Amino acid sequence: MADTTANQLFEFWKKQLEEGTQAWARLVSQTPAAPPPDPFSFWRPVLDQGLQTWATLFAQTPASPDLLGQWKQFLDQWIEGWSKVLGQAMGTEQFAKLMGQSLDQMLVSQAPVKKAMDQGIEQALQSLNVPSRSQVTAVAKQIVELEDRLERIEDAVGAVLRRLDKEPR
Amino acid sequence: MGQERFADVVERFTSGDGAASGVSPEVVKQWQEEIDKQRRRLENLHRLVTNPTEPKVGQTPREEIYRKNKSRLYRYASSRRYRTPLLFVPNLGISRPYIFDLLPNGSFIEHMTREGYDFYLLDWGVFGPEDNDLTVEDCVTRILPRMAQKVLESSGASELNVLGYCMGAPISASFVATYPEVPVKNFIDMAGPIDFSKVGLFGLWLKKEYFNVDRFVDTLGSVPADLVKAGFKLIKPTMDLSTNLNLWWNLWNDQYVESFQALNKWANEYVAFPGEFFRQWVRDFYQENKLYRGELVMRGRRVRLQSITCPVFVVGAKEDYIAPPECVRALLGAVASREKEYVELPGGHISLIAGRGAARHCWPKVSGWLASRS
Repeated sequence: MADTTANQLFEFWKKQLEEGTQAWARLVSQTPAAPPPDPFSFWRPVLDQGLQTWATLFAQTPASPDLLGQWKQFLDQWIEGWSKVLGQAMGTEQFAKLMGQSLDQMLVSQAPVKKAMDQGIEQALQSLNVPSRSQVTAVAKQIVELEDRLERIEDAVGAVLRRLDKEPR
Repeated sequence: MGQERFADVVERFTSGDGAASGVSPEVVKQWQEEIDKQRRRLENLHRLVTNPTEPKVGQTPREEIYRKNKSRLYRYASSRRYRTPLLFVPNLGISRPYIFDLLPNGSFIEHMTREGYDFYLLDWGVFGPEDNDLTVEDCVTRILPRMAQKVLESSGASELNVLGYCMGAPISASFVATYPEVPVKNFIDMAGPIDFSKVGLFGLWLKKEYFNVDRFVDTLGSVPADLVKAGFKLIKPTMDLSTNLNLWWNLWNDQYVESFQALNKWANEYVAFPGEFFRQWVRDFYQENKLYRGELVMRGRRVRLQSITCPVFVVGAKEDYIAPPECVRALLGAVASREKEYVELPGGHISLIAGRGAARHCWPKVSGWLASRS
């Protein structure tokens, strides 16, 4: 009875994973340019080992904590499997194009909103007689420029002093 | 059947007559240890949640030698056994440089100072909106020459070694190539991309056809830290999952937890890019590969890697997905140095230079290569 339940669980779990990998395969194989990755090559050993781990866990008497280590190893490989599948999917021209398009859309829609918000905040602060971010930034830029100028003067003075030191008196 | 057996074992444990029921004392001991680990895991978890302590990072003694805007030059305390000082140039933006001096007994800087190197760290700093006009060219032609000059002045040496890590490597290589008058004795590139046509996922995502860097910078002004974080999370989306799984697995180990806290603090402290820096970085390096092709011009000077003639040491990491080994190794073929060497070590972009693996594989290689030349 317990065996039947365990087997049903395995079958259910296995079916879910296989359906997941098939979904990935369908998603990734939409790329016409690159050869479609084969997620099964990653999943098969992982799946087999997972089943093996479960089988050992249920069959072994007495159960030892080593099984937890095996379970951790299985999870590591499972994550690694996902990492490779995702890496392959993200390494396609199709993904790069999609990402670029999404980013572009975000920027195009964001630009006027950001501009309007900046202007609104600027005006609100101005009416309250409070320095705005751009004014504070401008002051900070001036300080950076002043620092640069001072450095250049220091360099020039240093060069003159060195030349004077070298000249015979 | 299997479930019943497992339940039997649990039952025997809870009733406390393991030996009498056929469970070997060794297995009982193993389970006791496991339960103890579990208890310690829960204790550490409780401590992490209820009383999170700020990890003490960057503990190697140092003094600030010079500051220019946000950038700082630090000199570390050491016996200074070697006469030639070493200027360490890390990445600008992305993350803070305390990863190189994370914890005592686990720090690249500590290793180098213990070996007796006169170690200088250039901390580019955390840039704000007032720095959005800063470019790669400014770093190469205004900041680095001054930092090198300050290293020579404060050390009293006539030459210096330069070590570039990550994006600090192409930046410092550009500097060494552009300023042959600066007396650079040795140059080291650690995980620094040189041939950007082989730079992996970031290279693909930042291709001119897909990524409009001008629109990006013109709209946002800079690259906010959150976007930098998103980019790096995307390149390895399962990283957080495996990090948390490993944390749970090792949560019983106080030493691991301490290291995790320090590393986690660093890993979540992203730094923004100044807008113009990012524009030039993406366009000239990633999209047009100008450094490797010898087409980069800075302050009217053409940057030719062929102008580098000093001994060069290049270190690549086998599992580096940010700067894959082939794009790092390309430096060897680009420089005119007679003495040049490449090593490929185990680890990724970060674990090449930080952590126990780095202490075993990488640090001794770098300090060993420099020793006879410093």
